[in-house]
Amino acid sequence: MGHSDAASPASAAAARDAKKKRGNRTAAKLKQSKLETRREQWLSGQGKDGKETKVAALPTGAGSNAGSPILASPHPPLPRRRADTRSRGSDPEDREEAAAATLEVGGSDLDSPMHSPVSDKSQGGGCAQRKGFSGNGGGPSLSSGSSVWSSSRSVSDAEEDHTGCPEDESEVLDDWEAAADALYDDDSHCHQSSVPTTPPPAPTNAAPANAARPEPIRSKARAWAPDDIFRPQSLPSISKQASFPASIGNCWAGMGMSAAQQGILSLPLSCPICYEDLDPTDSSFLPCPCGFHLCLFCHNRILEADGRCPGCRKQYNTVPAAEGGGGPRATMIGREMANIAPVRLSRSCSMGPRY
Amino acid sequence: MARGENQESQTGNVPAASAAAGPKPASSAAGKGAEGQSVVRRLQSELMALMMGGDPGVSAFPDGDNIFNWVGTIAGSAGTAYEGTSYRLALAFTAEYPYKPPKVRFDTPCFHPNVDTHGNICLDILQDKWSSAYDVRTILLSIQSLLGEPNNDSPLNTQAAALWANQEEFRKMVEKLYKPAA
Repeated sequence: MGHSDAASPASAAAARDAKKKRGNRTAAKLKQSKLETRREQWLSGQGKDGKETKVAALPTGAGSNAGSPILASPHPPLPRRRADTRSRGSDPEDREEAAAATLEVGGSDLDSPMHSPVSDKSQGGGCAQRKGFSGNGGGPSLSSGSSVWSSSRSVSDAEEDHTGCPEDESEVLDDWEAAADALYDDDSHCHQSSVPTTPPPAPTNAAPANAARPEPIRSKARAWAPDDIFRPQSLPSISKQASFPASIGNCWAGMGMSAAQQGILSLPLSCPICYEDLDPTDSSFLPCPCGFHLCLFCHNRILEADGRCPGCRKQYNTVPAAEGGGGPRATMIGREMANIAPVRLSRSCSMGPRY
Repeated sequence: MARGENQESQTGNVPAASAAAGPKPASSAAGKGAEGQSVVRRLQSELMALMMGGDPGVSAFPDGDNIFNWVGTIAGSAGTAYEGTSYRLALAFTAEYPYKPPKVRFDTPCFHPNVDTHGNICLDILQDKWSSAYDVRTILLSIQSLLGEPNNDSPLNTQAAALWANQEEFRKMVEKLYKPAA
């Protein structure tokens, strides 16, 4: 993203509530005064009073954007295209508004970014949209305005924009911080807008521990929750250590419950035979239709001996077709393991009487 | 694993797989290098789980420094003739554990249809019905439930099997022969 984009969330959120927080940003104020001068120039020429007064009511937001239009002007079409691209994803109303603004008067485009976030504010989509519209502020001033739906959406826009205004760097850096702050505020205030950036927890997860504290995970740490279905497999399994007493302590009888609770993560993390960690190959290795997981080493070891599945005691080789079977069986582990709970196995063997 | 117990099994008609051998073979099997290491690892994990799990009525701990020999304790379940009693057991693991079951026997004399006077236990999961998915905890829980639900069709102690029908008399015998460990 280009710098003018970076500034945009700041303009959106700052317009709302971060105004007072950023009071000490003299750079922004400088820009604001620049903008006001500019606006007055346009005002005298255009006379679009209704919109201009609105802009005047949003000083900080205007200020953070003010640097861009001037500096981006050498590349009029590029920011314009980018702005259009963004508009597509957003609410049609606002899109029209923005388009209309751009078409009406080249110079007064500047107010469209300021204008739209305000009307946009009540919507859940939040961040992305605001970003798009304030991006408009970047450089519409000199655009020809004929093709609002310009088809080229090259990603390199941002790059070109960047190289076009290198001296913008320091000011925009400021805005980056503001943007980050504003985004954070956004997150803590309305969670809806932060939802798209954080994958929702797995719906099957009913573990009370996780349900009790979703907030820190979502808004602060931004780390993968242990039960997150989108969590990359390559990440180290912290949850294993956390659940150590449960998974091993209650061992088999408890498996049914924990399997139901953990949903997709119901697979054991370590081999129930040798207690070594299961690697991905082992985890997908289902030698028996009963769904009993074990590592390849232990499987071989058992094949050398009696060759019976530890989970159901059936011969492994009597069910060769089931080898490498699908996932649904994995959910049966709990039940199978419950079946061999010790209570039901208290059958003594047959042996001759001695006394 | 079958070595070392054969000389013991001649004392009765107990098959070689029964828990007649005592702790001796485990210590000799412990020196098998890498394989022994994984057994040690598993036993240590089980020990930790047992200590943290807190199952009521069963407990186990290594006997001395040798992690291949454990002492287990089970409490007689409430509502059975063994209520209020507590039995110590000796568990001897081999280097083939958990692919092969440990040898388990009662240290505390136990009057029970499936326990002989030497403390040997006749329990299928300790022999042909063993699964490597079992562990110390499930073994002890199984033995605990065996106390209240004997298999009188294949008794090691015929007197106990005969007396089982009369629970009052049976309870008296249990108490009479019960010598709790110091």
